[in-house]
Amino acid sequence: MKSLLISPELFLNNGGIARILRLYLKSLCAHAGAGGRVDSIVLNERAGPEPRLGRYSDPHLGEHVACNRRKLTFVRQTLRLARKADRLVCGHLHHLPIAWLARRFNPRLKYALVAHGIEVWRPYSAVERLALRDAHRILCVSDYTRRQILRFCPDLLPEQLVVVPNALDPTFDADDDTRATAQPFALPRILSVGRLAAADSYKGYDTLIEALPAIRHEHPAVRLRIVGQGDDQPRLVALAAQLGVTGLIDFLGSINDEALRAEYAACDLFALPSRREGFGLVFLEAMSHGKPCIGARAGGVPEVINEEVGQLVEYGNIPELAAAVMELMRRPRDSEIVRQHAATFAFPVFSRRLAAALT
Amino acid sequence: MCGIAGIYSTSLSPADREAAVARMVQSQAHRGPDDRGYYSRGELTMGMCRLAIFDPANGHQPMTTPDGRFTIVFNGAIYNHREMRAGLEAHGWAFRTQCDTEVLLAAFAQHGPECLPRLRGMFAFAVWDERERTFFAARDPLGIKPLYYARLPGAGLIFGSELSALLVSGYVSREIDPASAGEYLAWFSIPAPRTIYQGIANLPAGHCLAIDALGTLRTRAWWKMPAAVQPNRIAGNYQDFIHGLRHQLEDTIRAHRVADVPVGAFLSGGMDSTAVVALMARAGGARLKTFSLVFGEAGYSEQASARLAAQSCGTDHMEDLLTGARVAADLPQILASFDQPTGDGINTYYASQMARAGGVTVALSGLGGDELFGGYPSFRDLPRLQRFLPFWRKLPGSLRRSLVARLQGSNNTRARKLADFLSQARDLHELAALQRRVLPEAQRLALLAPDARRQANRLGPSHPMLDDFAAELAGADPFQIISGWELRTYMTDTLLRDSDVFSMAHSLELRVPFVDRVLLEWLWPQRAWFKYDPRRTKGALADATADLVPAALRNRPKQGFSLPFAQWMLGDLRPFLEETFSPGSLAACPWLDATEAANLWHRYTTQSDPRAWSRVWTVAMLVAFANRRTA
Repeated sequence: MKSLLISPELFLNNGGIARILRLYLKSLCAHAGAGGRVDSIVLNERAGPEPRLGRYSDPHLGEHVACNRRKLTFVRQTLRLARKADRLVCGHLHHLPIAWLARRFNPRLKYALVAHGIEVWRPYSAVERLALRDAHRILCVSDYTRRQILRFCPDLLPEQLVVVPNALDPTFDADDDTRATAQPFALPRILSVGRLAAADSYKGYDTLIEALPAIRHEHPAVRLRIVGQGDDQPRLVALAAQLGVTGLIDFLGSINDEALRAEYAACDLFALPSRREGFGLVFLEAMSHGKPCIGARAGGVPEVINEEVGQLVEYGNIPELAAAVMELMRRPRDSEIVRQHAATFAFPVFSRRLAAALT
Repeated sequence: MCGIAGIYSTSLSPADREAAVARMVQSQAHRGPDDRGYYSRGELTMGMCRLAIFDPANGHQPMTTPDGRFTIVFNGAIYNHREMRAGLEAHGWAFRTQCDTEVLLAAFAQHGPECLPRLRGMFAFAVWDERERTFFAARDPLGIKPLYYARLPGAGLIFGSELSALLVSGYVSREIDPASAGEYLAWFSIPAPRTIYQGIANLPAGHCLAIDALGTLRTRAWWKMPAAVQPNRIAGNYQDFIHGLRHQLEDTIRAHRVADVPVGAFLSGGMDSTAVVALMARAGGARLKTFSLVFGEAGYSEQASARLAAQSCGTDHMEDLLTGARVAADLPQILASFDQPTGDGINTYYASQMARAGGVTVALSGLGGDELFGGYPSFRDLPRLQRFLPFWRKLPGSLRRSLVARLQGSNNTRARKLADFLSQARDLHELAALQRRVLPEAQRLALLAPDARRQANRLGPSHPMLDDFAAELAGADPFQIISGWELRTYMTDTLLRDSDVFSMAHSLELRVPFVDRVLLEWLWPQRAWFKYDPRRTKGALADATADLVPAALRNRPKQGFSLPFAQWMLGDLRPFLEETFSPGSLAACPWLDATEAANLWHRYTTQSDPRAWSRVWTVAMLVAFANRRTA
């Protein structure tokens, strides 16, 4: 079986889409079979050695082409490699029309789309609809994403859409977190991880900050640690100052995986009360460390968090968010149960689901 | 019909729980003047007040199974309780009463939550399982009967039929939620699961709630709209459809007439209420009493139609003249009967008062006909807008933004509403949700104080249940989508809620035969053009009752039911509104921008835009409600 993975990026940043597409590459290689081959084309990355590539591939990896943001090159290379491929996995809806075009030159090519979240929760252009209808599979990270695609493109066949939930990265080792860095005392220590972009203000960091005064009332030593950076940070800093909780928040910026693992290990609970998560990979990472999670009852999050591993709240409901933190402090979740729940999203499970979905 | 209340708590003492539940039941006494009862065991206390409809001499609640395991409090009516009785007797149940409560209790004891899809009726009930120490509560599919709840410290729960009951318990916050105030200004009411109060939830229609022995609370939808496409259930042609519809209508009327007390009907003179009355009259029995509100103002009264319908059906017809002066005089009582603000429902308040005074305990209404048979303009207008959206999206972004800005800057409310559609709606679901908004988004945000505005911005203009309803209506045709949204939003959150509150204020059981699960499940998959003809509103309903309803009523164009508020607000109601929009009154609403609210009223008094009355009245009811609370 010859496969081709086309992605916007794999290693350029640590966003959720890049991280899950690395696992697609790893899984495609693992299931390539004897004589099989997997090629990879990445739009936004520069050519050159990528030390992490080895962790997400094996000798089945054939060509790995980085297009340095040149879209024409991306299209040309996709058409070239797709001629020899049996299947193509497209990592982003924006690139799906290229997959459709590739099939014009290679009719035996079957292509699949990885549908992550907000990028597919919208009306589609005529070209996108055409490409979606012709797709062999649409791999949805959550049932919510699947429902949204059917809502905006009701003429798809239900069997085209298969839910393949995101997975924990096996190289993100939850046991390797013993090197705790010096951190200020906090109880509870709430961790949140994600982009702080103004365009992504739906992530709900502001609601966490607004909940802090109520939480401080019951837990004076509460501390919120936010990992991530972006142009929304000044607004959040100003909001914290306005509410008098500046001293309770640490904006940690971007940190490496090792420091992130230390943060997961040290926190009492993880919270990302976001309105528009297709899945919420960070919840899995927190749960793999045995940490209970708070998310919003929105998007794909209710498929990841249940009562046994955390709390769901209405997006934007500050009193409910504060109450959820206090509830998790009063009635902590069993960390072993939380870890076991995370294990249901382990890489081998994902890889089997993906292989079954692509057949 | 009744009021129910209860507290589940491991931290409160039984004496405290019992005292609180007694206060809660007392506050709902108008919902059930005929009987009261309490149950207190372990960590649970429940109470209820009863309006006796079936087997008035028996049926005392809370009712416990003979083995002492299950205890129920129940508000509503199960219309098929006599049919269910036989099946349960076959399982060994020996009934002691002729009451629907006992059948519901037995059905729950026999089948657990699986009994819900077997029920035909309106209900909100709570059951305590003494053996498993678990709690269960549920609401009917479309939310005819209400159930509110809040969590208490230590995994506890408090519930009741009215929000006021929860407040008098003393265990929940009386704080108005600024985000709910914002939602109210958007939707005319507060969509479930939110309520006007912080921390108190409205169990959504068709949902149930369970607390397990560990105190974990879970809610889930037990009923969803029927599948959109069911080829085997579609009538082959229009004649077959009309024949089937007539059968279904007769069946729902037969079910809804069942009672051991006098039954009457509201008769506005419109097609829906006329069809209900005609089918009731045809079914026979004692001479039917019908009730109409009439107005002195030209253009509002449907007096002639209602009289013609009454004459044709041979009913004992009563009319009540409603004037602005009367509404102004009664406003304190009307406001006192609210448990959260509403911009609607005054007509139900007076019609219920008249029916109760006219000697009936149960009245049927035509509510729901517009939603099922396309009686609203939305059924005509929204598909047109939907067809336009793809062209709109092809325009350059800068041009779209510029056009939307121009529309938003217009003085014309329709233009501003169009701006909302164009800037926010992506498909028919979003159009169907947005069309029910009262205030254009820019105007709503301007009316809110900065904190509330921030929360409103965060929640966005979408309906809070958008994803749920869109998923429920997957595969639906445009008529079904609009019908589904009307049923799930305006009807449930506004019409049915107001009907419950205002009929119960007069201890009247209001029944809505069009809002019937069995009828809906039959009607839902039928072809859209059978149900709806844009050139002939309610044509299907007229054809199905052609032998019963005079042609003059069947062929008359729809007249939307509205009260002459536009005139009253500048006349008899003006002193009330002047007071409501005064600085002192607005000071009780820290989540409103007082200047903007006062300007809204000022503009209404100085500009001749009679269409603006509902927006002004909606805000006035919120302000009056906040002042009522602080009084």
